[in-house]
Amino acid sequence: MLTLDLLINGLIIGVFYALMAIGLSLIFGILKVVNFAHGEFYMVGAYAYTLSALMLGVSPWLALPLAFVVGLVVGVVVERLLMRPLYSGYTSWGSIRDEYAVIVTFALSIFLINVVDKVVGPFAYRGPPLVDVSRIAIGPILISGHRLIAAVVAIAVIVVVALAIRYSYWGRQIQAVSQNRLGASLAGIDTAKASAIVFALAGGLAAVSGALLANIFNPTPDVGVFPAIKSYVIVVLGGMGSVPGSIVASLVLGVLESFGGVYISYQYRDTFGLLILILFLLFRPQGLFGEKAREV
Amino acid sequence: MAGGIGTGDRLRAEFVASFVILLLVAVLPAFVTNAYWQGVVVVSMYFALLAVAWNILAGYTGQFSLAPAAFGMIGAYTTGLLSYYYGTGAAIGVPAAIIVSGGIGLALGRIVLRLRGPYLALTTLSFAEIMRLVISNSIDFTRGDLGLNVLGIFEERLAYYYLILAVLFAVQAGLYYLLRARAGLYLRAIRDDEIAAASRGVKIVWWKTFAFTLSAAICGLAGALYGHFAQFVSPELGLLSQTGIVISMVVIGGLGTLVGPVGGALLVYVLSEFLRDVGNAQLVVFAFLVIVFARFFRQGLWGLLLAAVGFWRARPVAPSPAAK
Amino acid sequence: MPCLVIDRVSKSFGGVKALDAASFSLDAGELVGLIGPNGSGKTTLINILSGHLAADSGSVALDDEPISGLRPEVLARRGVLRMFQLTRAFPRMSALDNLLVAGCALGLPQHEAHARALGLIEDLRLTRIMHLDAAQLSGGQLKLLEFGSCFMVPPRIALLDEPFAAVHPTLKEIMAGFIRRRHAAGQTFLLVSHDMPVIVELCPRTVCMNAGRVIADEATRAVLADPVVIEAYLGEAAI
Repeated sequence: MLTLDLLINGLIIGVFYALMAIGLSLIFGILKVVNFAHGEFYMVGAYAYTLSALMLGVSPWLALPLAFVVGLVVGVVVERLLMRPLYSGYTSWGSIRDEYAVIVTFALSIFLINVVDKVVGPFAYRGPPLVDVSRIAIGPILISGHRLIAAVVAIAVIVVVALAIRYSYWGRQIQAVSQNRLGASLAGIDTAKASAIVFALAGGLAAVSGALLANIFNPTPDVGVFPAIKSYVIVVLGGMGSVPGSIVASLVLGVLESFGGVYISYQYRDTFGLLILILFLLFRPQGLFGEKAREV
Repeated sequence: MAGGIGTGDRLRAEFVASFVILLLVAVLPAFVTNAYWQGVVVVSMYFALLAVAWNILAGYTGQFSLAPAAFGMIGAYTTGLLSYYYGTGAAIGVPAAIIVSGGIGLALGRIVLRLRGPYLALTTLSFAEIMRLVISNSIDFTRGDLGLNVLGIFEERLAYYYLILAVLFAVQAGLYYLLRARAGLYLRAIRDDEIAAASRGVKIVWWKTFAFTLSAAICGLAGALYGHFAQFVSPELGLLSQTGIVISMVVIGGLGTLVGPVGGALLVYVLSEFLRDVGNAQLVVFAFLVIVFARFFRQGLWGLLLAAVGFWRARPVAPSPAAK
Repeated sequence: MPCLVIDRVSKSFGGVKALDAASFSLDAGELVGLIGPNGSGKTTLINILSGHLAADSGSVALDDEPISGLRPEVLARRGVLRMFQLTRAFPRMSALDNLLVAGCALGLPQHEAHARALGLIEDLRLTRIMHLDAAQLSGGQLKLLEFGSCFMVPPRIALLDEPFAAVHPTLKEIMAGFIRRRHAAGQTFLLVSHDMPVIVELCPRTVCMNAGRVIADEATRAVLADPVVIEAYLGEAAI
């Protein structure tokens, strides 16, 4: 039952990808920038979860929300300190504001990776599993208990977030600001607060993703680099700014990588995503579901 | 900049400043005879070339590519593979590197013409990563992460020093003359407002492609020279963190100026060597500096220097009666 | 001798028909006003004429050569130059350099471009600020600068999209005087404006648009007295 196994594994990995991609997508929706430090939110969450469990003896089930909170905080701090110039009349970068975001988040990524490397050390820790059951049988498939539970948690989080964006008060503010910043502010919406909330949420979600996967991908300073690249692929594939698009694209990528890694090439499995990214950016930048991309 | 100083004068000031810096580098070996530190300066000049190349794209046409280190790697591997398989030296390898890098740059440049901001960054990032992964994984062809040994050119380290210095100077001089001419007007116009530039008749496609190709070619040249100096090339040359270092050099030095990349590269890299002794914190410091500069001092060190000079010049003097 | 011929040009954005078989033509040397209520399609038409938008159907010809679908930079080199409603200039280049770009891009040798730029700067009373970066100029000065950019190389046709909007009367006078002089020397203009006094003063002939169609095309005074035009602006028949 290799196919089913690959499918399930692909979907599960896709669910974890979705946690990261949703945040990235929301950030793009509201600020029209790609956060190149997104992988580091993941990494921070992975470390927060792992270290609090291993060194402070906290139960993994407590470490998880802790990681979420850490992610929230980091997100807010980054937004307040660095993202303000994008919308508050800062003229130094003038018409190339987007490029400012590229540079600043790219540098932030390198900064965070190396700070953690210095402060915590480059050695990999092993994130503790949520449940200590190593094999659960579901029909013909064997899955590790942690992976299963983590996937369930991830799905729950995704559902809650998706519903919140759609129906809650702040969710709708965020949608409004994403569609028309000026209009939203004229309508009395606090756009700065909306941006901060989005960044905080994105940070928290990525952190949770890092925490949930800490048992599988051991936290190292650059553990977030590959997940980040996958997120970029997903967000472009699904359409920048579209939450449902990100979810669908995450699952698609997860399954594609799962099958591709076995049937095409294990070595080059990371390049599939990158090629998809380039192709979409060139021929269908709005992805499968997104808003029509900005043109020159 | 305040009124009264035409752009031509600004450019000339920048070129003179960079010339002075390079002059200092030329006489440095008289005072610094330690071969290790001379080597440090050589490597910093490799980065200076990459920085100059990236500045052409980002500082002068507004195309913020994340691929400069990748093109350096491509140039290095062009000469490296030729050396490994055919035993050719730099005389063939370096021109070949320029052509190959430039050619790939031309192709990529045409492809990304319509992209800006994050879309351009993502595309060039993917390109850079794909290149690195391909070279890294083609173990049979490139020996992958083991790297390749490359033939050297000279016996004397100082010979490399002056060779790469001469190349850097030639590139700077060429760029200066390019920017003084119409090309400079067009490139900056494209950077400032591409739509307006098009409506004034500037050949956008041509100039953006030209900048991309030139930038890639210079990166390839730098990579090849580095390969012959270090007599070794590896996929690590193309890591995104290397691009990060290049970007930090330009942003800290002064984006969009003729002197920023050169001054920034030398400063940042030499500083990094000191920091290496203090616990390998180079990247932390530079990334932090980039963030601070990008956020608060967009004009870079050169801009700050000019502002300081401006302040000094504008010491208490009665304000002129001429109003705005 | 028709210089510009616009033949049944249509353009829709989603469900909205911005232009509906708009047609009119300009002879060489004419100074024609283009008026119409907001949303009548004037700027869309200018965008199509300058190559920034592609028409859905219909054709545009310049000197009997079709120019539909050509890119802005190509059209600029053919002599179709325009001003933007929201002024576009090069913020980090000096006012002088802004003009030099326009001149050199259209083929002037550098010294010639320099000389002409200085002349234009004199004409437009921008001498004092010519070395300042465009980002440091006031809105009115920017408009004059963009205006001047269109005339570094006398265009085949100058498309002026609301050049007088929100401009100080003095600057308006400078621009109007400039237009008058160049027109007397044979320059062709299409002038979009809401400023009726200026249209009356400068343009012998005016075209009026509404809801994407051309509803009047005659001598300016006749257009302004035309009941159809009045209805378009006021929404009801004149009594």
